[in-house]
Amino acid sequence: MRALINLLFFPGGLFLILLALAYEWADRKLLARFENRIGPRWFQTVADIVKLLVKEEITPATSHPILFGVLPVVAMTGALTAALYVPLLGMRPALSFNGDLIVTLYLLSLLTMAVGMAGWNSTSRFTMMGATRALTQLFSYEAPFMLALLGPAVVAQSWQINQIVANNRGVWLLLTQPFGFAVALIGLMGKLEMPPFDAPKAKTEIVAGALTEYSGRGLGLFHLGKGIELVVGLTLIAALYMGGIANPVEFFGKTLLLLVVLTSLHAILTRLRIDQTVGLWWRYGALVVLLQWLALIVWKGVTA
Amino acid sequence: MSAEELLKKAESLLSGVGQGTTRPEPNRLDVVVPASDLVAAATALRGADWGYLSTLTGVDLGKDANEIEVLYHVCERDAVTTLRVRVPRAGGTVPSLHTVHPNAMLFERELIEMFGVTVTGLADTSHLFLPDGWPEGTYPLLKDTDVRAAAAKTTGSEPPEMGRHGDRFIVPVGPQHPALKEPGHFEFAVDGERVTGATVRLGYVHRGIERAAENQTYTQNLYLTERVCGICSHSHANAYVNGVEQLAKIPAPPRAQAIRQLVACLERIHSHLLWLGVAAYEAGFDTLLMYSWRDREIVMDILEQLTGNRVNYSANILGGVKYDVTAAIAPVIRRGLDKLEERAKHYLHVVTADTSFLSRAQGIGVTSKEEAASLEMLGPTLRAAGVARDVRIDAPYGSYKQFPVTMVLDSAGDLAARFKVRVLEMLESIRVIRVILDGLPEGTLSVKFPRRIPAGETISRFEAPRGELFYYLKSNGTDKPERVKIRTPTICNWIYVLTKAVGAQMADVPPLLASIDPCFSCNDRMIVVNRGGGDRRIWTRENPQRLAGAQTRR
Repeated sequence: MRALINLLFFPGGLFLILLALAYEWADRKLLARFENRIGPRWFQTVADIVKLLVKEEITPATSHPILFGVLPVVAMTGALTAALYVPLLGMRPALSFNGDLIVTLYLLSLLTMAVGMAGWNSTSRFTMMGATRALTQLFSYEAPFMLALLGPAVVAQSWQINQIVANNRGVWLLLTQPFGFAVALIGLMGKLEMPPFDAPKAKTEIVAGALTEYSGRGLGLFHLGKGIELVVGLTLIAALYMGGIANPVEFFGKTLLLLVVLTSLHAILTRLRIDQTVGLWWRYGALVVLLQWLALIVWKGVTA
Repeated sequence: MSAEELLKKAESLLSGVGQGTTRPEPNRLDVVVPASDLVAAATALRGADWGYLSTLTGVDLGKDANEIEVLYHVCERDAVTTLRVRVPRAGGTVPSLHTVHPNAMLFERELIEMFGVTVTGLADTSHLFLPDGWPEGTYPLLKDTDVRAAAAKTTGSEPPEMGRHGDRFIVPVGPQHPALKEPGHFEFAVDGERVTGATVRLGYVHRGIERAAENQTYTQNLYLTERVCGICSHSHANAYVNGVEQLAKIPAPPRAQAIRQLVACLERIHSHLLWLGVAAYEAGFDTLLMYSWRDREIVMDILEQLTGNRVNYSANILGGVKYDVTAAIAPVIRRGLDKLEERAKHYLHVVTADTSFLSRAQGIGVTSKEEAASLEMLGPTLRAAGVARDVRIDAPYGSYKQFPVTMVLDSAGDLAARFKVRVLEMLESIRVIRVILDGLPEGTLSVKFPRRIPAGETISRFEAPRGELFYYLKSNGTDKPERVKIRTPTICNWIYVLTKAVGAQMADVPPLLASIDPCFSCNDRMIVVNRGGGDRRIWTRENPQRLAGAQTRR
């Protein structure tokens, strides 16, 4: 019974959805203020999602209808499941085992894969280009992003999120591993297709990219999935790089600080072309993370 | 070289092919050319680097003459040479000039659909502005065509088939697409991210303004031309009144001329700020869009306080202007200009120094000076490639002799250069407005203007924010014009966009499109099309009127 409540309401399920909407609102409001606009009212993101969920969904005739319906659910499930392994609100993760860090990273990629497949399945020209771009982008940031999040694990000598956080408690790894931190944070932007990495859904070129054909519930679920992934990703980076999360105050303080950084980058940068994104990750992102790994391994060897 | 020398040179170049020349106005040369010698005549001018084809105008000479006259206007600085070709009303044929002047391709397609003249040597003769289902053999600009009846007979056309076109993967942009706030249809064939082919279909907002102008008085046409475009409403109206004043030989008083220039300068600032936002948005730089559109409010507020309107300023009347720049309004303008100057300087910094922005603008869509000149591009797009062509300087009209502007040039020829040129033009406009305010001539605002205009024809060229605006006016002694031809700057830059889109990355196409500052409403000007079958989504003139009535009654 308790497990069910944990899963459905708190800290998983409903609570997580509301948290995701709140973070999305903070992002939108902040961006609006940066851009000299007023921005949405506090309940706007909730209203948006309710509207999407009750709207009629139009399934393109050329798509596989079951796949079309299932993919948004897969996307959201991936994000919700990933949330079970991270210390939301500074509480113990609901599930924990040795190697859960790797599982979480894969679960976070599920959303992008689902978006890519949804694009191919919709068979519209905009969605196909969007899908190609989304997957191209996935392959460019994924490896550096993963390596960046594994950096703290090497220091803590554990693959278990809980263990890493406990071992590194109070140590702000972003000071000792600044490159890893930067790559992880920017990788999260790539994952969430946040500008300037929004080429896969660049509206002036390919309308809404891979999700162009999604209208009602499906779009709503994809949207929620992204919101949850934002919260999970921020929690993960804060826990690994910012000295762990001990209580709700620390949780909100640290994750919101990261959100401000993301939103600021969004506001001041121009959208990158897909070739620029790939170039950025493989030329710089992967390189600096690998160099940092080398430094870590050498340091470990020296101190051991 | 002065206009006189230029025209002498043109005359000697054309001495072999012309059949009689006239000098209707000091800066104009008319040469009658038989259709068979047209290409030779155009080549003679082009070969000596004399001018660019500004546009071509078809004029229906009526049932009695049973002829159509096609006028090819070639402009060089302030001189205009017009090659006049007469062809029979039925079955007339002219050769295509697109090998000499690339833009002729589009002008000739307009000539074919509007007048029924056959153009030989043109690969694509499909409709440019008229809908595909327009009744065959009906040509809207012939005097005896019943345009309303033809529009009623227009049938719907099948939408193009979606999906793959053979081996080509086509990405459609428009008529409804987030990249375009105005309707135009582009098809880009892509191979991965690389564009391998580009086509354009225009005419979604064609409103038949040229034909409408023939049925209205000169005063009514003032309000019509003002509505050709929402952004450069003053440019259109000013170009039109300049033309009518030339025909009537009644110039507006100096104070009116200066006020017209002042409004034109404000309009340029307004237009460039709007463009700055749109172009930034196309490249995915939304913050710049929000800021530039916020600052655009300053200049719109100035225009509102000066004229009472924010969009259609309606400053012109035949023979003068409606509004005075009073002692009360001048300081308001100056205060606004101070703010605008500060902001424009900031934007200049952004477009020349912001790394992230420059990574999307530098080296994109580059044209060399020679290429830009040979494609006969116009306006800031051309000047950003280093070609010094600006009607305000080359052929100063109105008060531009008294308050000269400095040309803004850049040699880079890429997107970044177009941003820079437009922002610098804003700063230049601010400087000129201050000079005008300091030395505003005293005197009346308008002179009495006759209703009937003596027979004649004239050309009025005007540097709109987007480039040279070309008006050809022909009067017949009544209170309605015989023919009004409007050529907007946008159409002259399409060939450039289509040429450069091929080989570009798909992501660079929207900024490339925006870089010429396209204005579809200027470009198109549509006859109300009824797709038949009692479709209630099709609105006729009565629907909006009824709706407006219902709303005001409430």
